[in-house]
Amino acid sequence: MLKILICVLALASPVRAQDKPPLTVGVIYIGTANDYGYNRAMKDGVEALRKATGANVLEAENVPESAEAQRVMAAMIAKGAKLIMATSFGHQEFAFNLARSHPQVAFVHAGGWMLRDNFGNFFGATQTAWYVLGVAAGHMSKAGKAGFVAGVPIGYVIGNINAFHLGARSVNPKFQTRVVVTGGWSDKVKEAAAANALIDQGADLVTMHVDSPATVIQIAENRGVYSIGFQSIEARALAPKGWITGLGFNWGPYMTETAQQVVNGTFKGKMVRLGLREKMLVVAPFGDAVPQNVRDAVDAAAARVADGFTPFTGPIKDNTGAYALRAGEKMENSDMGKFDWYAEGVIGRVK
Amino acid sequence: MIAALLIASVAAGTALLYAALGEIVGERAGIINLGVEGVMLAGAACACAVGAMSGNPYFGVLAAALAGALISLVFAYAVVDCAANQLAAGLSLLLLGLGVSALIGNPFVGAVMPGLPSLARMDALVALVLPLTALIAWGLSATRWGLQLRAVGENPTAAFAAGCNRRRLQYQAIALSGILSALAGAHIALGVAYTWAEGMTGGRGFIAIALVMFARWNPWGAVAGALVFGGAEASQLQLQAHGVDVSPFVMNMLPYLLTLAVLPLTGKRGRLAAPAALGRPYRGVE
Amino acid sequence: MSTDGTFWRAAWIGLAAFTAFGLILGIAGKHPLQAYLDTGAYVLGSLEGFTELFVRMGPLVMAALAVAIPARIGLFNVGGEGQIYMGALFATGAALHLAQAPSWLLLPATIAAGFIGGAIWALVPALMRVAGVANEAITTLLLNYVAPLAVAYQIFGPWRSPESSSYPQSPRLAEAATLPVLPNTRLHAGLLIALACLAVFAYVFHRTRWGLEMRAIGANRSASQHLGLPVRAYVLLCMALGGGIAGLAGMAEVSAIQGRLVAEVSPGYGYMGFLVAWLAGPSARAIAGMALLFALISSVGDILQITQRVPFAVVNILMAAILFSVLCAGRRR
Repeated sequence: MLKILICVLALASPVRAQDKPPLTVGVIYIGTANDYGYNRAMKDGVEALRKATGANVLEAENVPESAEAQRVMAAMIAKGAKLIMATSFGHQEFAFNLARSHPQVAFVHAGGWMLRDNFGNFFGATQTAWYVLGVAAGHMSKAGKAGFVAGVPIGYVIGNINAFHLGARSVNPKFQTRVVVTGGWSDKVKEAAAANALIDQGADLVTMHVDSPATVIQIAENRGVYSIGFQSIEARALAPKGWITGLGFNWGPYMTETAQQVVNGTFKGKMVRLGLREKMLVVAPFGDAVPQNVRDAVDAAAARVADGFTPFTGPIKDNTGAYALRAGEKMENSDMGKFDWYAEGVIGRVK
Repeated sequence: MIAALLIASVAAGTALLYAALGEIVGERAGIINLGVEGVMLAGAACACAVGAMSGNPYFGVLAAALAGALISLVFAYAVVDCAANQLAAGLSLLLLGLGVSALIGNPFVGAVMPGLPSLARMDALVALVLPLTALIAWGLSATRWGLQLRAVGENPTAAFAAGCNRRRLQYQAIALSGILSALAGAHIALGVAYTWAEGMTGGRGFIAIALVMFARWNPWGAVAGALVFGGAEASQLQLQAHGVDVSPFVMNMLPYLLTLAVLPLTGKRGRLAAPAALGRPYRGVE
Repeated sequence: MSTDGTFWRAAWIGLAAFTAFGLILGIAGKHPLQAYLDTGAYVLGSLEGFTELFVRMGPLVMAALAVAIPARIGLFNVGGEGQIYMGALFATGAALHLAQAPSWLLLPATIAAGFIGGAIWALVPALMRVAGVANEAITTLLLNYVAPLAVAYQIFGPWRSPESSSYPQSPRLAEAATLPVLPNTRLHAGLLIALACLAVFAYVFHRTRWGLEMRAIGANRSASQHLGLPVRAYVLLCMALGGGIAGLAGMAEVSAIQGRLVAEVSPGYGYMGFLVAWLAGPSARAIAGMALLFALISSVGDILQITQRVPFAVVNILMAAILFSVLCAGRRR
């Protein structure tokens, strides 16, 4: 039925595209848009979309990952939104519910796996990209110890930690990564305490996977340790001395393309996982503390990953001593959500 | 490891101590304020806003103090002048604080916040809290003002007969309490997290209320309590970093369960330690 | 309290509060009138907008009852939020462990478990009160923070669903354990449960001997004790009932709205329920009316957020304004 609808729409697509009323897009963020992190990156993408297409954008911030999200998205649809972007992992199910009851509205969700004709999924292929950051850490950390502040310990996050650690170990075979879980994507007080605790334990480099790197980076800077950022590359401004590099998202092209598809009636939900090669992920500019040889090594690693290298090929032992991946085994892009082990040398428990 | 834990406990406990001191002053005057959390948040938001705009964290702290006093005045009017139910008024103050802080703080999320400069992991607010405790303890027990304040909290009719101005004293107590709670919020914002996030105090205001009972309305008892409660919060993450497998949720429950557990201890005997007229709106002879 | 008097007083207060709120928004650079109009359009003009009012009203009524029932005998139950979470927890436990049971057993068991969870959570403070240990306002408040942690513990640990990348949430509850829902909307049978409880409360309180005894205890506890009324029993009973009804709200959220146990079961219904009860007093009609008003205010918050970038938390200012007006209108000195 929906296919017929799309065909009709495509055929009826007016030749005079400029006469169409602007597309109304609804976007929900889990936090506030100016958080130097995850939401900032999403917001930047939305702004690019708005500039390129002139769409009318409805936004709601601090939308929790609960049924409230469904309420907010439904209100946006009632206000005429024809494309809904649910930007946080936990918004998935609620967006999917609405996709079922509103087949004429297009939905895209960040970071999940559900798919439907009118429900697509997108994210950056972060796991392999974290390897590059690990290489940087391996070179820069004199103590060979890094601290990782993790928000919610889902498989994707654990994969990021593992890739980071494997990258560091490729430079320093004795590298240690300590993980502290705060339990939420954005609990500033806990992040601060976690960062301090990790530094107390001897880490001379901290990094994180939480919505905003700002707090962790500021703590690192105050205590004189290195920091590697994630989610947004602007965070570099917070740590002039200790910033090494980071990983950021570039959502603009994808979002703009999606909006065009909705306007043209060619939208179809699919799974999009793009990485360094397609420039959905970008390695952040280096900090002043990073010497040229390290920069070259990191760039080389980035090129390898862009070419298709993945650190998740066996044999890899996990931190209980058993083999997580045997020789010859490999984890594909689609398996990235299934991590339930930490690599050897990571201090932490996968609960 | 112990040293790190101690430092982390102090960092976590300072805000609790400020809020508890504020609540002690208020409760000694007979007013129970459930809205401490709201005042803390208002203080945190103002500290972030003014701090970010001026670039100076100390201006932020001053702004927080002012905001705390102002927002508490609404509460004071309701409970002192209108003899309203203190529990309901306190919760209304909580809501007011939640809303006002969200409004004020919203433009400053993610803004570069000047943190309080610290020496050996101690910032100005941490350094001030113990002298302040001493000041309050002395003030309550050894000055005429403190005596009159406590009289109002124990027996307002007798206090009135003795010439105390109940209204003025209770307003002063609430204002002071508001300033202290707001400083607690300012510390969390500019001394711990270096940022603003909605609801960032995470229930610490309520822990402070419990702390007051735990401390038997004594400022020095509050110091001990703040270390214990701050310690419970801090140890959870320290242990994780150390590699010890501990459930963060069970650890987070500990401060509250601890309070519940000590309530019976303060209960029967300690109830006598509570100001006798605590929580009763004064409708008497004026 | 004559109904006419209350209605006009309520209308007056509502008007004053909406105006004050509008002024604050105006000062902050927003457009309150536009927001109010947008809300009206949303609520009256779309099925979702209209039914969401009632979706919110159900838990608010139940949370209000959780406060109102103990309030009749002079107790302050501020623990509605925690009782909601415990109800959700117990209901999920029942639904998961009895998933193989036949449907005529599973749903009632889930509902009963929700009630029991909330009741237990209110009984702890009740027992402490009866033993003279602590004021229930403090204990119920403290437990509000423990309950969500218990839920988090379960969904991060023993009940973590292996699907969805181990995102912390429980597995989906069985179809048979979910409350019936009106198709195309989120309106569910929880509202009926809420209204039924409200009706029973009104009847018991105003027309039975128990209601009379409760009112007596609420008016003068020591006199009632001297008269031989079983005050302690009432304390335990009323708190348990109140907590249980809040637990039902939690069960309904899990069963009909979320479909599983998640970290955020309630967006603050417990506290909003306290305010609804406080403003409404013992009148069942007033509770229903206030709950609807609060649901409307929440919709204003939704619209403000989407159309004017105002953080949702700002509606708390409106609620505070309403409350302070009531508190200060009581008695001027």
